[in-house]
Amino acid sequence: MTQELSSLMDGELEADEARRAIRGCCGSEALKDTWQTYHLIGDAMRGESPCRGAATRRIMEALEREPTVLAPRLRLGASAGRIAFAAAASVATVAVVGWIGMQDRAPADGPALARSDAPAAQPVAVANVVPLRNMNDYVVYHRQMPNAEFYRPASNQAVGGR
Amino acid sequence: MRRLAAALPALVLLASGPSAAETGIDPITWLQRAAASARQATYSGTIMHVQGERSSTSRITHLVVAGIEQEKIESLDGPRREVVRRGNEMQCFFPDAKTVRIDRRVTARFFPSLFSGPVEAIAEGYHLKLGAVERVAGLDCQWIHLDPKDALRYAQRLCAELGSGLLLRATTLNARNQVLEQYGFIDVRLGGDVSKRDLRSTFQAQSKDWRRDEQPSVEQAAGATGWAVAQLPPGFRVVGEMQRAMPNRPAPVTQLVLSDGFASMSVFIEPVTAPPPVNEAASQSGERRGGPRLTEAISQEGTLSVYARPAGEHLITVLGEVPPAAAQQVGRSVGRPAAR
Repeated sequence: MTQELSSLMDGELEADEARRAIRGCCGSEALKDTWQTYHLIGDAMRGESPCRGAATRRIMEALEREPTVLAPRLRLGASAGRIAFAAAASVATVAVVGWIGMQDRAPADGPALARSDAPAAQPVAVANVVPLRNMNDYVVYHRQMPNAEFYRPASNQAVGGR
Repeated sequence: MRRLAAALPALVLLASGPSAAETGIDPITWLQRAAASARQATYSGTIMHVQGERSSTSRITHLVVAGIEQEKIESLDGPRREVVRRGNEMQCFFPDAKTVRIDRRVTARFFPSLFSGPVEAIAEGYHLKLGAVERVAGLDCQWIHLDPKDALRYAQRLCAELGSGLLLRATTLNARNQVLEQYGFIDVRLGGDVSKRDLRSTFQAQSKDWRRDEQPSVEQAAGATGWAVAQLPPGFRVVGEMQRAMPNRPAPVTQLVLSDGFASMSVFIEPVTAPPPVNEAASQSGERRGGPRLTEAISQEGTLSVYARPAGEHLITVLGEVPPAAAQQVGRSVGRPAAR
């Protein structure tokens, strides 16, 4: 049910599913609470935190405990509008990579396990965002599906030396 | 809620008549049927793929001829592309670039054939359960839930057509139950007449003069490259090991392919000549010249996570349809045990 509420908030439910979720939500105090909590989380994540009650504090603490998500929402497609090839699921490009671990420390000392029971990738600081050349080749070779850039004659990526 | 779920199979048994027997099937058998059906059945239809804010459609035609799987996939949006596959041999036609790419299928995922390696392995990484029976693309369809046992893979919701087991939908969710990626048939035809002509590329004739891009990959026996992943996430296995010649790279790149039965990762190990690409990339940004060394990098786009780490004379890059933590765990533990 809580999952349905979450989907409802994200506008991911069909009309009849939404109706069911709303009915369910109002039928129980616990679920009403959950519904409010989700909205508070949403507000907190957007940096709007109007109420300062105990609930808000609890949520902020919960957020603190959760692993940092590099990309919390689906607005990752900076290249929105670019068309991917459905069946092969090609990623148009991975042009930028957030570098982590800029400090002089071995990866083992890294922050990954610091704040969560579950292992989660956590950047200490995204100190720099740099285009990582040649990364697209790896995407192409993993997905086994070239993108438009791969064969662009201007780029020297075309058909390796032949 | 749980009681309702327990009652569902019984309801379905009453509701769905002839196919009722199917609902007595356990989730792993459903997955086996889905995997087998994607390979062996005759089907054609239109597929929608949504990832993040991008969506696109393609048309698929699939047939088994003399025991060999044959498939044609055409993009319906944007630049024209076609993939023609016979067994594991893929030809990808790019008319704009007048190029045919020839490759052997290893990690490519073509819905509805999303499984890799033995289906039984999936039970190691995921809790499996059956969901509701719903109508999808005009057909009755059994939802199968794959919920990860750890934070090292995504949840999957698969919907298999009751009669054939063919997947009609596949949704990838992150730990917050947000949809990362979705495949689905908009319309689908099971069985019926598919002629071999339908499987030939539209560009077959005109592509005679096109450039052929065939980057050889040499398959290696397990462990032959000397590289290994010390901390494989549970359920993941090395399912492929090869040396690949790649454009822009003077020396061949080692590729290890990992799979948990559904999700896959590629580990690329590339010898680097000075200056290593990582440092080069950093200096291009004009910052931190002579500063601390970069130790690792991570990135995520949709379901794809990328992890990179320089390791002595090599650059290790891990890519896969897994959470960043999984790519990181693998990337950090890649090494050459024999060399120690």
